[in-house]
Amino acid sequence: MIKLSVCIFCLFIPLSYAQAGAILSLKNDVGVITIDNEMPVDSSHDILPIPVEATAPLGVLAEKLPLFDISSDQASNTPNGANRTTIRVAPGETLPISVKLSNFGGGKRVDVLVHYAIYNSSRDEIYSASETVAVETTVSLVKSATIPYGTYPGIHIAKTSITYQGQEFPAVTQFSFMVERKFFGIFQSDFFSYMFIVVIIGVFMFFLGNILVKHRREMRFIPLDYSNIPHNRRTFYEILSDTIMQMSRRVGDDAITIASKVSGLEIDATTGRILNLDGSPAKIIAELVSEYEKLFGKKVSFSFRKEIEPKGSS
Amino acid sequence: MKTQKTILVVEDEKSLCKAIVDILSRNNFLPIEAKNGKEGVELALSRHPDLILLDLIIPEVDGITALKKIRADAWGARVPIIILTNVSATNEQLVDDIVTHKPMNYLIKSDWKIQDVVAKIQEILGK
Repeated sequence: MIKLSVCIFCLFIPLSYAQAGAILSLKNDVGVITIDNEMPVDSSHDILPIPVEATAPLGVLAEKLPLFDISSDQASNTPNGANRTTIRVAPGETLPISVKLSNFGGGKRVDVLVHYAIYNSSRDEIYSASETVAVETTVSLVKSATIPYGTYPGIHIAKTSITYQGQEFPAVTQFSFMVERKFFGIFQSDFFSYMFIVVIIGVFMFFLGNILVKHRREMRFIPLDYSNIPHNRRTFYEILSDTIMQMSRRVGDDAITIASKVSGLEIDATTGRILNLDGSPAKIIAELVSEYEKLFGKKVSFSFRKEIEPKGSS
Repeated sequence: MKTQKTILVVEDEKSLCKAIVDILSRNNFLPIEAKNGKEGVELALSRHPDLILLDLIIPEVDGITALKKIRADAWGARVPIIILTNVSATNEQLVDDIVTHKPMNYLIKSDWKIQDVVAKIQEILGK
Protein backbone atom coordinates (compact mmCIF):
# COMPACT_ATOMS: atom_id res chain seq x y z
CA MET A 1 0.00 0.00 0.00
CA ILE A 2 1.23 3.39 -0.91
CA LYS A 3 1.19 5.43 2.13
CA LEU A 4 2.23 8.95 2.65
CA SER A 5 2.23 10.56 5.96
CA VAL A 6 2.42 14.16 6.70
CA CYS A 7 3.60 15.09 10.15
CA ILE A 8 3.60 18.59 11.35
CA PHE A 9 5.18 19.54 14.59
CA CYS A 10 4.58 22.95 15.82
CA LEU A 11 6.90 24.33 18.45
CA PHE A 12 6.44 27.89 19.38
CA ILE A 13 9.65 29.60 20.18
CA PRO A 14 9.72 33.31 20.84
CA LEU A 15 10.40 34.76 17.45
CA SER A 16 13.03 37.19 18.68
CA TYR A 17 15.23 34.35 19.99
CA ALA A 18 14.65 32.00 17.17
CA GLN A 19 15.44 34.58 14.54
CA ALA A 20 18.63 35.44 16.34
CA GLY A 21 19.77 31.82 16.19
CA ALA A 22 19.51 31.41 19.94
CA ILE A 23 19.48 28.04 21.68
CA LEU A 24 16.94 27.59 24.41
CA SER A 25 17.54 25.21 27.27
CA LEU A 26 16.47 24.75 30.87
CA LYS A 27 18.98 24.45 33.62
CA ASN A 28 17.89 23.95 37.26
CA ASP A 29 14.48 25.36 36.32
CA VAL A 30 16.22 28.46 35.15
CA GLY A 31 16.22 29.47 31.54
CA VAL A 32 19.58 29.69 29.85
CA ILE A 33 20.00 31.43 26.56
CA THR A 34 23.10 30.87 24.54
CA ILE A 35 23.94 32.82 21.45
CA ASP A 36 25.64 31.23 18.47
CA ASN A 37 29.42 31.21 18.67
CA GLU A 38 29.42 32.46 22.21
CA MET A 39 30.11 30.59 25.43
CA PRO A 40 27.14 29.97 27.73
CA VAL A 41 26.70 32.64 30.29
CA ASP A 42 26.14 31.59 33.86
CA SER A 43 22.95 33.39 34.61
CA SER A 44 22.65 32.27 38.28
CA HIS A 45 24.20 35.51 39.31
CA ASP A 46 23.00 37.75 36.49
CA ILE A 47 19.49 36.50 35.69
CA LEU A 48 17.73 37.88 32.66
CA PRO A 49 13.96 38.09 32.69
CA ILE A 50 12.56 34.95 30.95
CA PRO A 51 9.36 35.24 28.91
CA VAL A 52 6.43 33.30 30.24
CA GLU A 53 6.05 31.30 26.98
CA ALA A 54 9.56 29.90 27.37
CA THR A 55 8.86 28.33 30.75
CA ALA A 56 5.51 26.88 29.81
CA PRO A 57 5.21 23.01 29.30
CA LEU A 58 5.87 22.00 25.67
CA GLY A 59 2.58 20.10 25.38
CA VAL A 60 0.69 23.25 26.16
CA LEU A 61 2.53 25.22 23.57
CA ALA A 62 1.98 22.77 20.64
CA GLU A 63 -1.03 23.86 18.66
CA LYS A 64 -3.13 20.92 17.40
CA LEU A 65 -3.29 21.54 13.65
CA PRO A 66 -4.93 18.97 11.28
CA LEU A 67 -2.60 16.15 10.29
CA PHE A 68 -3.82 13.70 7.68
CA ASP A 69 -2.72 10.31 6.55
CA ILE A 70 -4.12 9.30 3.15
CA SER A 71 -3.96 5.96 1.40
CA SER A 72 -5.63 4.68 -1.73
CA ASP A 73 -6.08 1.41 -3.54
CA GLN A 74 -8.39 -0.24 -5.97
CA ALA A 75 -11.46 -1.50 -4.15
CA SER A 76 -10.71 -5.16 -3.43
CA ASN A 77 -14.23 -6.42 -3.98
CA THR A 78 -14.11 -5.73 -7.69
CA PRO A 79 -13.74 -8.54 -10.23
CA ASN A 80 -10.29 -7.34 -11.22
CA GLY A 81 -9.01 -6.65 -7.78
CA ALA A 82 -7.80 -10.09 -6.81
CA ASN A 83 -4.22 -9.20 -7.48
CA ARG A 84 -2.98 -5.63 -7.42
CA THR A 85 -0.24 -6.34 -9.94
CA THR A 86 -2.83 -7.28 -12.54
CA ILE A 87 -5.43 -4.56 -12.08
CA ARG A 88 -6.98 -4.21 -15.49
CA VAL A 89 -9.82 -2.05 -16.66
CA ALA A 90 -11.29 -1.75 -20.12
CA PRO A 91 -12.23 1.61 -21.66
CA GLY A 92 -15.79 2.44 -20.63
CA GLU A 93 -15.56 0.44 -17.43
CA THR A 94 -15.30 1.90 -13.95
CA LEU A 95 -12.27 1.74 -11.73
CA PRO A 96 -13.28 1.75 -8.06
CA ILE A 97 -10.76 3.84 -6.10
CA SER A 98 -10.76 3.17 -2.40
CA VAL A 99 -9.42 6.03 -0.25
CA LYS A 100 -8.83 6.08 3.48
CA LEU A 101 -8.33 9.37 5.33
CA SER A 102 -7.07 9.47 8.89
CA ASN A 103 -6.82 12.64 10.91
CA PHE A 104 -4.00 12.46 13.46
CA GLY A 105 -4.17 16.09 14.26
CA GLY A 106 -6.78 16.01 17.01
CA GLY A 107 -10.45 15.45 17.34
CA LYS A 108 -11.61 18.47 15.33
CA ARG A 109 -13.81 17.84 12.33
CA VAL A 110 -12.11 19.13 9.21
CA ASP A 111 -13.49 19.61 5.70
CA VAL A 112 -11.20 17.91 3.25
CA LEU A 113 -11.34 18.34 -0.52
CA VAL A 114 -10.49 15.03 -2.14
CA HIS A 115 -9.34 15.22 -5.75
CA TYR A 116 -9.21 12.14 -7.97
CA ALA A 117 -7.33 12.04 -11.25
CA ILE A 118 -6.22 9.41 -13.71
CA TYR A 119 -3.17 9.92 -15.91
CA ASN A 120 -2.04 7.97 -18.93
CA SER A 121 1.55 6.97 -19.64
CA SER A 122 2.14 10.36 -21.30
CA ARG A 123 1.11 12.04 -18.03
CA ASP A 124 -2.03 13.43 -19.66
CA GLU A 125 -5.03 13.64 -17.37
CA ILE A 126 -7.87 11.53 -18.75
CA TYR A 127 -10.18 11.69 -15.75
CA SER A 128 -10.74 14.20 -12.97
CA ALA A 129 -13.25 14.51 -10.11
CA SER A 130 -13.44 16.16 -6.69
CA GLU A 131 -15.55 15.86 -3.59
CA THR A 132 -15.52 17.33 -0.12
CA VAL A 133 -15.80 15.17 2.98
CA ALA A 134 -15.80 16.04 6.66
CA VAL A 135 -13.25 14.03 8.59
CA GLU A 136 -13.07 13.82 12.32
CA THR A 137 -10.92 10.73 12.80
CA THR A 138 -11.14 8.28 9.89
CA VAL A 139 -13.14 8.15 6.68
CA SER A 140 -13.16 5.50 3.96
CA LEU A 141 -14.37 6.42 0.50
CA VAL A 142 -14.86 4.50 -2.71
CA LYS A 143 -14.93 6.54 -5.89
CA SER A 144 -15.99 4.92 -9.15
CA ALA A 145 -13.93 6.47 -11.90
CA THR A 146 -15.13 5.72 -15.41
CA ILE A 147 -12.32 5.15 -17.88
CA PRO A 148 -13.26 7.12 -21.02
CA TYR A 149 -13.96 5.25 -24.23
CA GLY A 150 -11.07 5.67 -26.61
CA THR A 151 -8.48 5.52 -23.86
CA TYR A 152 -5.34 3.97 -25.28
CA PRO A 153 -4.24 0.73 -23.67
CA GLY A 154 -1.30 0.89 -21.32
CA ILE A 155 -0.27 1.57 -17.76
CA HIS A 156 -2.22 4.37 -16.09
CA ILE A 157 -1.96 6.00 -12.68
CA ALA A 158 -4.87 6.76 -10.37
CA LYS A 159 -3.79 9.67 -8.18
CA THR A 160 -5.71 10.96 -5.15
CA SER A 161 -4.79 14.17 -3.34
CA ILE A 162 -6.36 16.07 -0.49
CA THR A 163 -6.56 19.74 0.39
CA TYR A 164 -7.66 21.08 3.74
CA GLN A 165 -7.50 24.17 5.87
CA GLY A 166 -4.11 24.71 7.41
CA GLN A 167 -2.37 22.18 5.17
CA GLU A 168 1.36 22.69 5.09
CA PHE A 169 2.45 19.80 2.87
CA PRO A 170 0.81 18.15 -0.10
CA ALA A 171 -0.79 14.79 0.66
CA VAL A 172 -0.97 12.56 -2.41
CA THR A 173 -1.37 8.85 -2.94
CA GLN A 174 -1.44 6.84 -6.16
CA PHE A 175 -1.47 3.39 -7.64
CA SER A 176 -1.01 2.10 -11.14
CA PHE A 177 -3.31 -0.05 -13.20
CA MET A 178 -3.59 -1.31 -16.73
CA VAL A 179 -6.11 -0.19 -19.32
CA GLU A 180 -6.71 -3.00 -21.79
CA ARG A 181 -9.31 -3.52 -24.49
CA LYS A 182 -11.79 -6.35 -24.31
CA PHE A 183 -12.92 -8.74 -27.04
CA PHE A 184 -16.25 -10.41 -26.44
CA GLY A 185 -16.06 -9.42 -22.78
CA ILE A 186 -12.56 -10.87 -22.35
CA PHE A 187 -9.42 -8.83 -21.91
CA GLN A 188 -7.31 -8.73 -25.06
CA SER A 189 -4.31 -10.57 -23.58
CA ASP A 190 -6.58 -13.22 -22.05
CA PHE A 191 -8.48 -13.46 -25.32
CA PHE A 192 -5.30 -14.20 -27.25
CA SER A 193 -4.20 -16.70 -24.60
CA TYR A 194 -7.56 -18.45 -24.77
CA MET A 195 -7.49 -18.36 -28.57
CA PHE A 196 -4.02 -19.88 -28.56
CA ILE A 197 -5.18 -22.65 -26.23
CA VAL A 198 -8.33 -23.18 -28.32
CA VAL A 199 -6.25 -23.38 -31.51
CA ILE A 200 -3.84 -25.85 -29.91
CA ILE A 201 -6.74 -27.97 -28.67
CA GLY A 202 -8.46 -27.62 -32.03
CA VAL A 203 -5.40 -28.75 -33.95
CA PHE A 204 -4.94 -31.63 -31.52
CA MET A 205 -8.60 -32.63 -31.85
CA PHE A 206 -8.39 -32.32 -35.63
CA PHE A 207 -5.46 -34.68 -35.87
CA LEU A 208 -6.91 -37.02 -33.26
CA GLY A 209 -10.24 -37.02 -35.10
CA ASN A 210 -8.51 -37.72 -38.40
CA ILE A 211 -6.60 -40.60 -36.88
CA LEU A 212 -9.79 -42.05 -35.36
CA VAL A 213 -11.79 -41.61 -38.57
CA LYS A 214 -8.99 -43.15 -40.62
CA HIS A 215 -8.67 -46.03 -38.18
CA ARG A 216 -12.43 -46.58 -38.20
CA ARG A 217 -12.51 -46.45 -41.98
CA GLU A 218 -9.63 -48.84 -42.28
CA MET A 219 -11.31 -51.20 -39.85
CA ARG A 220 -14.53 -50.92 -41.80
CA PHE A 221 -12.94 -51.44 -45.18
CA ILE A 222 -10.75 -54.39 -44.38
CA PRO A 223 -11.69 -56.95 -47.04
CA LEU A 224 -14.00 -59.57 -45.58
CA ASP A 225 -12.81 -63.13 -45.54
CA TYR A 226 -14.75 -65.74 -47.51
CA SER A 227 -12.39 -68.68 -47.14
CA ASN A 228 -15.33 -70.74 -45.83
CA ILE A 229 -17.07 -70.45 -49.21
CA PRO A 230 -16.41 -73.22 -51.76
CA HIS A 231 -13.63 -72.29 -54.18
CA ASN A 232 -15.82 -72.26 -57.31
CA ARG A 233 -18.11 -69.57 -55.80
CA ARG A 234 -15.64 -67.72 -53.60
CA THR A 235 -14.52 -65.27 -56.31
CA PHE A 236 -18.11 -64.11 -56.83
CA TYR A 237 -18.50 -63.50 -53.10
CA GLU A 238 -15.25 -61.58 -53.01
CA ILE A 239 -16.12 -59.46 -56.06
CA LEU A 240 -19.56 -58.63 -54.66
CA SER A 241 -18.18 -57.87 -51.20
CA ASP A 242 -15.33 -55.70 -52.51
CA THR A 243 -17.67 -53.88 -54.89
CA ILE A 244 -20.10 -53.03 -52.10
CA MET A 245 -17.21 -51.87 -49.93
CA GLN A 246 -15.75 -49.79 -52.75
CA MET A 247 -19.09 -48.10 -53.34
CA SER A 248 -19.56 -47.55 -49.58
CA ARG A 249 -16.33 -45.57 -49.60
CA ARG A 250 -17.68 -43.39 -52.39
CA VAL A 251 -21.35 -42.96 -51.48
CA GLY A 252 -21.66 -44.18 -47.89
CA ASP A 253 -24.14 -46.63 -46.43
CA ASP A 254 -26.51 -46.22 -49.38
CA ALA A 255 -24.30 -48.73 -51.18
CA ILE A 256 -25.31 -51.42 -48.66
CA THR A 257 -28.97 -50.41 -48.83
CA ILE A 258 -29.00 -50.74 -52.61
CA ALA A 259 -27.11 -54.03 -52.52
CA SER A 260 -29.64 -55.47 -50.08
CA LYS A 261 -32.37 -54.85 -52.67
CA VAL A 262 -30.67 -56.83 -55.43
CA SER A 263 -32.58 -60.06 -55.95
CA GLY A 264 -30.69 -63.18 -54.97
CA LEU A 265 -28.19 -61.24 -52.87
CA GLU A 266 -28.41 -61.68 -49.10
CA ILE A 267 -26.11 -59.41 -47.10
CA ASP A 268 -25.51 -58.25 -43.54
CA ALA A 269 -27.06 -54.77 -43.40
CA THR A 270 -24.38 -53.53 -40.99
CA THR A 271 -21.16 -54.89 -42.36
CA GLY A 272 -22.12 -55.58 -45.96
CA ARG A 273 -20.89 -59.16 -45.64
CA ILE A 274 -22.32 -61.47 -48.28
CA LEU A 275 -24.39 -64.10 -46.51
CA ASN A 276 -25.81 -66.01 -49.44
CA LEU A 277 -26.19 -65.94 -53.22
CA ASP A 278 -29.37 -67.35 -54.65
CA GLY A 279 -29.19 -67.86 -58.40
CA SER A 280 -26.48 -67.01 -60.95
CA PRO A 281 -23.66 -65.15 -59.17
CA ALA A 282 -22.61 -63.46 -62.44
CA LYS A 283 -26.15 -62.20 -62.93
CA ILE A 284 -26.21 -60.84 -59.36
CA ILE A 285 -22.91 -59.02 -59.92
CA ALA A 286 -24.13 -57.59 -63.23
CA GLU A 287 -27.37 -56.41 -61.62
CA LEU A 288 -25.56 -54.82 -58.66
CA VAL A 289 -23.12 -52.98 -60.96
CA SER A 290 -26.02 -51.88 -63.09
CA GLU A 291 -27.91 -50.50 -60.06
CA TYR A 292 -24.87 -48.58 -58.84
CA GLU A 293 -24.30 -47.13 -62.27
CA LYS A 294 -27.97 -46.19 -62.62
CA LEU A 295 -28.34 -44.62 -59.17
CA PHE A 296 -24.93 -43.06 -58.59
CA GLY A 297 -23.74 -42.61 -62.17
CA LYS A 298 -20.53 -44.40 -61.26
CA LYS A 299 -19.03 -47.37 -63.07
CA VAL A 300 -17.44 -50.11 -61.04
CA SER A 301 -13.89 -51.40 -61.32
CA PHE A 302 -12.91 -54.79 -59.94
CA SER A 303 -9.76 -56.12 -58.44
CA PHE A 304 -9.38 -59.84 -58.03
CA ARG A 305 -7.84 -61.04 -54.84
CA LYS A 306 -4.63 -62.99 -55.07
CA GLU A 307 -5.11 -66.71 -54.83
CA ILE A 308 -3.48 -68.17 -51.73
CA GLU A 309 -1.13 -70.89 -52.92
CA PRO A 310 -1.67 -74.20 -51.08
CA LYS A 311 1.26 -75.14 -48.85
CA GLY A 312 3.85 -77.30 -50.58
CA SER A 313 2.87 -76.21 -54.09
CA SER A 314 5.67 -74.91 -56.30
CA MET B 1 18.81 -61.26 -66.79
CA LYS B 2 15.96 -58.84 -67.52
CA THR B 3 16.35 -55.42 -66.05
CA GLN B 4 13.23 -53.87 -67.56
CA LYS B 5 9.78 -55.36 -67.18
CA THR B 6 7.92 -55.74 -70.47
CA ILE B 7 4.36 -54.47 -70.69
CA LEU B 8 2.13 -55.33 -73.63
CA VAL B 9 -0.40 -52.56 -74.31
CA VAL B 10 -3.34 -53.76 -76.41
CA GLU B 11 -5.17 -50.53 -77.23
CA ASP B 12 -6.60 -49.28 -80.52
CA GLU B 13 -7.06 -45.69 -79.43
CA LYS B 14 -3.83 -44.13 -80.68
CA SER B 15 -3.59 -41.12 -78.36
CA LEU B 16 -4.29 -43.19 -75.26
CA CYS B 17 -1.91 -45.92 -76.39
CA LYS B 18 0.85 -43.35 -76.96
CA ALA B 19 0.24 -41.74 -73.57
CA ILE B 20 0.43 -45.10 -71.81
CA VAL B 21 3.56 -46.13 -73.69
CA ASP B 22 5.25 -42.80 -72.90
CA ILE B 23 4.55 -42.96 -69.21
CA LEU B 24 5.56 -46.61 -69.01
CA SER B 25 8.89 -45.75 -70.71
CA ARG B 26 9.44 -42.92 -68.26
CA ASN B 27 8.87 -45.38 -65.43
CA ASN B 28 11.56 -47.73 -66.72
CA PHE B 29 9.22 -50.26 -68.31
CA LEU B 30 9.62 -51.65 -71.79
CA PRO B 31 6.25 -51.17 -73.51
CA ILE B 32 5.09 -53.19 -76.53
CA GLU B 33 2.18 -51.84 -78.57
CA ALA B 34 -0.59 -53.87 -80.17
CA LYS B 35 -3.29 -52.08 -82.19
CA ASN B 36 -5.85 -54.91 -82.18
CA GLY B 37 -6.75 -58.12 -80.41
CA LYS B 38 -5.15 -60.44 -82.95
CA GLU B 39 -1.82 -58.63 -82.78
CA GLY B 40 -2.13 -58.56 -79.03
CA VAL B 41 -2.52 -62.32 -78.71
CA GLU B 42 0.37 -62.94 -81.10
CA LEU B 43 2.71 -60.56 -79.29
CA ALA B 44 1.68 -61.96 -75.94
CA LEU B 45 2.38 -65.55 -76.85
CA SER B 46 5.61 -64.73 -78.71
CA ARG B 47 7.17 -62.09 -76.46
CA HIS B 48 5.87 -63.27 -73.10
CA PRO B 49 5.53 -59.85 -71.51
CA ASP B 50 5.53 -59.49 -67.74
CA LEU B 51 2.05 -57.91 -67.79
CA ILE B 52 -0.68 -57.20 -70.33
CA LEU B 53 -2.88 -54.09 -70.46
CA LEU B 54 -5.94 -55.10 -72.45
CA ASP B 55 -8.81 -53.05 -73.83
CA LEU B 56 -12.11 -54.87 -74.42
CA ILE B 57 -13.45 -53.05 -77.46
CA ILE B 58 -10.69 -53.57 -80.01
CA PRO B 59 -10.71 -54.53 -83.69
CA GLU B 60 -10.31 -57.98 -85.26
CA VAL B 61 -10.42 -59.96 -82.00
CA ASP B 62 -12.30 -58.43 -79.06
CA GLY B 63 -10.73 -58.19 -75.63
CA ILE B 64 -12.63 -61.07 -74.01
CA THR B 65 -11.71 -63.43 -76.85
CA ALA B 66 -8.10 -62.32 -76.65
CA LEU B 67 -8.21 -62.92 -72.89
CA LYS B 68 -9.54 -66.45 -73.39
CA LYS B 69 -6.84 -67.24 -75.99
CA ILE B 70 -4.05 -65.99 -73.79
CA ARG B 71 -5.39 -67.88 -70.77
CA ALA B 72 -5.59 -71.03 -72.85
CA ASP B 73 -1.81 -71.01 -73.20
CA ALA B 74 0.31 -72.58 -70.47
CA TRP B 75 2.36 -69.42 -70.01
CA GLY B 76 -0.66 -67.14 -70.51
CA ALA B 77 -2.64 -68.87 -67.76
CA ARG B 78 -0.56 -67.12 -65.12
CA VAL B 79 0.43 -63.81 -66.73
CA PRO B 80 -1.04 -60.78 -64.95
CA ILE B 81 -3.63 -59.04 -67.13
CA ILE B 82 -5.26 -55.70 -66.43
CA ILE B 83 -8.40 -54.97 -68.38
CA LEU B 84 -8.62 -51.26 -69.10
CA THR B 85 -12.00 -50.43 -70.58
CA ASN B 86 -15.03 -48.21 -70.53
CA VAL B 87 -17.40 -51.16 -70.69
CA SER B 88 -19.31 -51.53 -67.47
CA ALA B 89 -19.72 -55.06 -66.17
CA THR B 90 -23.50 -55.04 -66.38
CA ASN B 91 -23.78 -58.08 -68.58
CA GLU B 92 -24.05 -61.51 -67.01
CA GLN B 93 -21.95 -63.22 -69.69
CA LEU B 94 -19.23 -60.56 -69.46
CA VAL B 95 -19.06 -60.96 -65.67
CA ASP B 96 -18.94 -64.71 -65.99
CA ASP B 97 -16.08 -64.50 -68.53
CA ILE B 98 -14.16 -62.11 -66.36
CA VAL B 99 -14.55 -64.25 -63.25
CA THR B 100 -13.67 -67.39 -65.16
CA HIS B 101 -10.53 -66.02 -66.80
CA LYS B 102 -9.49 -63.84 -63.91
CA PRO B 103 -7.60 -60.78 -64.97
CA MET B 104 -5.85 -59.13 -62.04
CA ASN B 105 -7.98 -56.02 -62.40
CA TYR B 106 -10.96 -54.78 -64.33
CA LEU B 107 -10.44 -51.03 -64.45
CA ILE B 108 -12.83 -48.44 -65.80
CA LYS B 109 -10.83 -45.95 -67.88
CA SER B 110 -12.85 -42.92 -66.81
CA ASP B 111 -12.16 -43.62 -63.12
CA TRP B 112 -8.42 -44.14 -63.47
CA LYS B 113 -5.59 -41.76 -64.23
CA ILE B 114 -2.73 -43.18 -66.28
CA GLN B 115 -0.33 -42.56 -63.42
CA ASP B 116 -2.57 -44.62 -61.10
CA VAL B 117 -2.62 -47.44 -63.65
CA VAL B 118 1.19 -47.35 -63.70
CA ALA B 119 1.17 -47.46 -59.90
CA LYS B 120 -1.09 -50.51 -60.08
CA ILE B 121 1.31 -52.16 -62.54
CA GLN B 122 4.24 -51.43 -60.24
CA GLU B 123 2.27 -52.89 -57.32
CA ILE B 124 1.47 -56.07 -59.23
CA LEU B 125 5.03 -56.53 -60.50
CA GLY B 126 6.49 -55.69 -57.12
CA LYS B 127 8.59 -52.88 -58.55
